[in-house]
Amino acid sequence: MDEILDRALNAAQLAGASYADVRLVESRSQFIEVKNRQVSALQESGTMGIGVRVLVDGAWGFAASADPSTAEAERCAALAVRIARASARFRIDPVTLSPLAPAVTRWETPIEVDPFTVPLADKIALLVDASGIMERESGVKVAQGNMQFWEDRKSFASTEGARIEQRIVNSGAGLTAFAVGDDDFQVRSYPNSFGGQYESCGYELVRRLDLKGHAAETAATAAALLTAPVCPAGVTTILLDGAQVSLQLHESCGHPTELDRVLGHEANYAGTSFLTTDHLGKLRYGSEVVNIVTDATTPRGLGSFGFDDEGVPAQRADLVRKGRFAGYLTSRETAPLVGLASNGTMRAESWAHIPLVRMTNVNLEPGTWKLEDLIADTQDGIHMITNRSWSIDDKRYNFQFGTEVGYEIKQGKRGRLLKNCTYTGITPEFWNRCDAVCDASDWEIWGTPNCGKGQPSQTMRTAQGASSTRFRDVQVGVGARS
Amino acid sequence: MSGPVHRAPLEAARAAEGPPLLADEAEGVLRESLSMAEADQAEAILEAQDSSLTRFANNEIHQNVTARDHALTLRVIVGKRSGTATTHRLDSSALRQLADRALAIARLSPEDPDLPEPAPPALVPKLDAFEAATAGSTPEARADAIGSVLRGAREAGLNAAGALSTSASLLAVANRRGLFVSQPETYSNFTCTVRSQNSSGWVDRHRRDVRALDVAKLGQIAVEKAERSRDPQPIEPGRYTVVLEPAAVSELVSFLTSLGLGAQAELEGRSFMAGRMGQPITGERATLTDDPFDPRAFGKPFDYEGTPRRRVVLVENGIARAVVHDRRTAKKSGAESTGHACPPPATEGPQPYSLVLAGGDQSLSDLVSSTERGILVTRFWYCRVVDPKKTIVTGMTRDGTFLIERGKLVRGLRNLRFNESVLEVLRRADAWGRELEPTVFDYTYNCVVAPALRVPEFNFTGVSPF
Repeated sequence: MDEILDRALNAAQLAGASYADVRLVESRSQFIEVKNRQVSALQESGTMGIGVRVLVDGAWGFAASADPSTAEAERCAALAVRIARASARFRIDPVTLSPLAPAVTRWETPIEVDPFTVPLADKIALLVDASGIMERESGVKVAQGNMQFWEDRKSFASTEGARIEQRIVNSGAGLTAFAVGDDDFQVRSYPNSFGGQYESCGYELVRRLDLKGHAAETAATAAALLTAPVCPAGVTTILLDGAQVSLQLHESCGHPTELDRVLGHEANYAGTSFLTTDHLGKLRYGSEVVNIVTDATTPRGLGSFGFDDEGVPAQRADLVRKGRFAGYLTSRETAPLVGLASNGTMRAESWAHIPLVRMTNVNLEPGTWKLEDLIADTQDGIHMITNRSWSIDDKRYNFQFGTEVGYEIKQGKRGRLLKNCTYTGITPEFWNRCDAVCDASDWEIWGTPNCGKGQPSQTMRTAQGASSTRFRDVQVGVGARS
Repeated sequence: MSGPVHRAPLEAARAAEGPPLLADEAEGVLRESLSMAEADQAEAILEAQDSSLTRFANNEIHQNVTARDHALTLRVIVGKRSGTATTHRLDSSALRQLADRALAIARLSPEDPDLPEPAPPALVPKLDAFEAATAGSTPEARADAIGSVLRGAREAGLNAAGALSTSASLLAVANRRGLFVSQPETYSNFTCTVRSQNSSGWVDRHRRDVRALDVAKLGQIAVEKAERSRDPQPIEPGRYTVVLEPAAVSELVSFLTSLGLGAQAELEGRSFMAGRMGQPITGERATLTDDPFDPRAFGKPFDYEGTPRRRVVLVENGIARAVVHDRRTAKKSGAESTGHACPPPATEGPQPYSLVLAGGDQSLSDLVSSTERGILVTRFWYCRVVDPKKTIVTGMTRDGTFLIERGKLVRGLRNLRFNESVLEVLRRADAWGRELEPTVFDYTYNCVVAPALRVPEFNFTGVSPF
């Protein structure tokens, strides 16, 4: 393997690269889906390849191949240099990388039980049993369970002398009950939508989730939603559960703090950002109780790693401190443009993709409230739980989210179940209406396995830590016309 | 690491303007893989692709990439059990491991009473989908094409961002019943956003032949929209007549795919078509067809089970007529596969890939000039489902939203949020464009070919500060 990396770097330098890095990545995954006690999908995939990234005359080139041989490594290096030369003809300012002490080391995701060693039969049996429990609920048309496991073995080397080996293991599992009624279709998930919970860990996640123990309640809620009243329209207080806050963070804080978006690199695709550099350190993004960090070292975080795909060590940095906008997610290329050093957020979907500025774990720090106290303190509002729908504009201002379930809160008590709950707002106005964040006992690091960005499009696994959070004067009940 | 068995022919096949793999080479790999499977039945899918993308932002090329990849998926069947595994290595040892793993998974899987057998051999129609000029596109040629847009934007004091991409690929399917089908194809896309200090314009075109993309001319469309929408003004949310450009219509129509045009969604009762076949579900001017043979629709002549694709009329003059099938849903429904199996694991079941919404007889400028007061929407962005049964979707306008008064574009508008039912939009549309334009969606790679539409009472529910 070292020879392949060496040959790629040597070939790039001989062809004229002032900087080159090479990633050799071997990935495998397992996906299991059970519907109504039948295995509806069971697939294992493996891929291995090499990607060579070079700087020539201050411009980037990248070439990748599914054949990680020494010959292909050299071909990719030469092709990347040719591509970079084509880029350089239309480059205004040469790329400058922030300084980095090259690391020579190894890092692994801490796991208790390797998910790829757990017998397939055991995994299937668990999902079949959980699905069977959900299927007993009348009104539930599809009772679905799934598990997904990934392992990435990454070798990174650069012409600066870095040599980094990483083994990253991610696991995920969850349940979904689909209930169908007259001209209605409702869904309830456990413990979260998008297929459940995802973490950087092993099979211990699946055991901790206790899928069978939560199957009946999940199905019962899906069925109950069919006859539940629709979320009323108006302006009210909302209490979001941690999983919904997680996606709110992802969309309205994580993406707009990506410095490449701010600098216009994503203007044609993912969009730009309202958090322009003139706002750094000045804009009141949220209320005093809002503290948000990027932290690639968060235990169990789906966005945790030892080093990013530029070889920068995982780190933690403020994005919002006491409500004030405090920082960006950065890379070696973007950080110097605003006078910063990279905080290690460059991640590539696979060997076939270049690294981009991506969320790692974007966390809302816990507050001081107990959930039961927060409900008791709320006179009139809606407790919205588990994301169902999400949409936000290309500068990350105007958003609309929907949740799977909602509960009325009246005089400090949780009341009727509500369906088709939605809320909308403008990001900084919304976060400035945040007046309470629950404490660490309610906090969880929620995984998002499907974050899209880039051209060619890449899918990334990120996480956002959050606890239940309250917002005042929010417009709810948008869009669900009868 | 990789054995010598297939590498030499694969390398030899890669002429600069050829497909990444030749049909007989693909057949050799597939036959060898199938022969290794000690099972009752086996089916294999091989996809090979060379893809390149030159990306620009802030009037300079900032990312520029190419990748060569191939993936082989093997499904084996033992009695009523099946197992599927995928590898990106094609040497003999990798094929051996793939066969062993798929077989191990099959033996561990529970019996599947609905398991269909692989497709029988069949003749597939020839589809002319490969353009050598696209396959042979070079980084220098892509940079040169983009260069004119970058210069134009810079000289106008504007900021251009976008991408020019090309790919050449081969899809081949074989099974132990004797089926072998293959299809080479090419794809190219130019997409461009031009921004001023407070406005933006956008253009996006998809063609098989990269020479059909007049990049300089297309870039000018984005420039003109950016200039024209300078200093956008807010407008109160509410119901407005809209003129939706084809990209905006395609975005809405694409949601019908996942919401119910496949048989699995219908069988599970979640489709808006469920229980309504033969009944009116939208306006009588709406006819929606999955047509892989429409030259604009980026169709494939067979699906991922090797079944020849059929042209399927899904909605005819507003009446729900059909959903698309793969072999599993066909077996469950007592129907025949229409050739719409998706790539494994195909958790959503069969889907249409080449939707064509029939157009009308008016130009886009006709639609605008005949509108007394309304809003022109260039495109929608970040659309998501709010109510699946009612096909209600929310999303934002982006990159060129204009107020129309007395048949003219009078100024740019700040972006608006909408909540609307797709079927209601098609029911209320009162003027249909005659020029149809394809949009190929990333992630799903399905294509929607659509005209511009004028729609009264379109429901805008919010506004952005820009």
